[in-house]
Amino acid sequence: MKARCPECDGEIEVYDDVINGEIVTCPECGMDFEVVIEEKGEIKLVPAEVEGEDWGE
Amino acid sequence: MITVKVGGDMVKKGLDPSFLLDLKELAERDRVVIVHGGGDIVTEIAEKLGKPQVFVKSPSGITSRYTDRETVEIYTMVMSGMINSKLVAELRRVGLNAVGLSGIDGALIRARRKKRIIIVDERGRRRIIDGGFTGRIVEVNVHLLELLIEGGYIPVVSPIAIGEENEFLNVDSDRAAANVAAQLKAEKIIFLTDVEGLMLEGRLVKKLDLSEAESLLGKVGAGMDKKLLASVEAIKGGVREALITSGFIDKPLTKAIKHRVGTVITADQP
Repeated sequence: MKARCPECDGEIEVYDDVINGEIVTCPECGMDFEVVIEEKGEIKLVPAEVEGEDWGE
Repeated sequence: MITVKVGGDMVKKGLDPSFLLDLKELAERDRVVIVHGGGDIVTEIAEKLGKPQVFVKSPSGITSRYTDRETVEIYTMVMSGMINSKLVAELRRVGLNAVGLSGIDGALIRARRKKRIIIVDERGRRRIIDGGFTGRIVEVNVHLLELLIEGGYIPVVSPIAIGEENEFLNVDSDRAAANVAAQLKAEKIIFLTDVEGLMLEGRLVKKLDLSEAESLLGKVGAGMDKKLLASVEAIKGGVREALITSGFIDKPLTKAIKHRVGTVITADQP
């Protein structure tokens, strides 16, 4: 399925079996977005905000 | 002041008498703080306790333990209760006045909990999951370490941090050592591991400046990459030299300090 980039309105390909938390990248502006599946099954893209890869021992 | 990071393999095999003698001699002429690892031992014990560890992969390929609430409790129990106590006992056996601490004690290591992390899941897709109980170190209680050192003790620190809500957090031991060294304004940090030092194309890299070390980040094996990153952080924090060497050779500390073995990382030359 397709989604629109909230930043540049570019077209983002999203897997049909996408799950909550998955990250998609806009091929046009290069931004990463987190997939949030809403109650009615609609897909919302929010900027992916995470911290560095420092996960302990 | 010298910070010594004792790797998990050394802990597992028991400290070699040559290392203990070397440490004793070093402690007679300099002030020493020890930070230890032991992640593999945590994994073994967790499995024996019926809690097999789950490992997740970061987008850059680093594999790490997924630290849920039960795991951080086992982690703390093993790191602090078993490994740290064992090390302290081994040091005391040879007359070193060691005192064991975790980052919880006196809020020795404060960290900010990572709420969310990105993993690459079993389908090869990037996904955000709850960060569990890991954290980024924000502060070291230097005053507590200085009090102990001034009192003639050798602090032995386990890589557990205390979070903003006073929760236990799993922090990487190499980076914990780097933070301790930088905040204590140590002259040197020595990473004792199970390999000669940083190897590139099968050859030991003897010397690197900060820029060279930074340019190699992400290009060496995962275990060494963490040491390289920790070395970079320590040097940027004001430590004069980071030394990476094997802990399984005769007198590893003396030889590393004299640059006879291992990899030496220093600040950029003006």
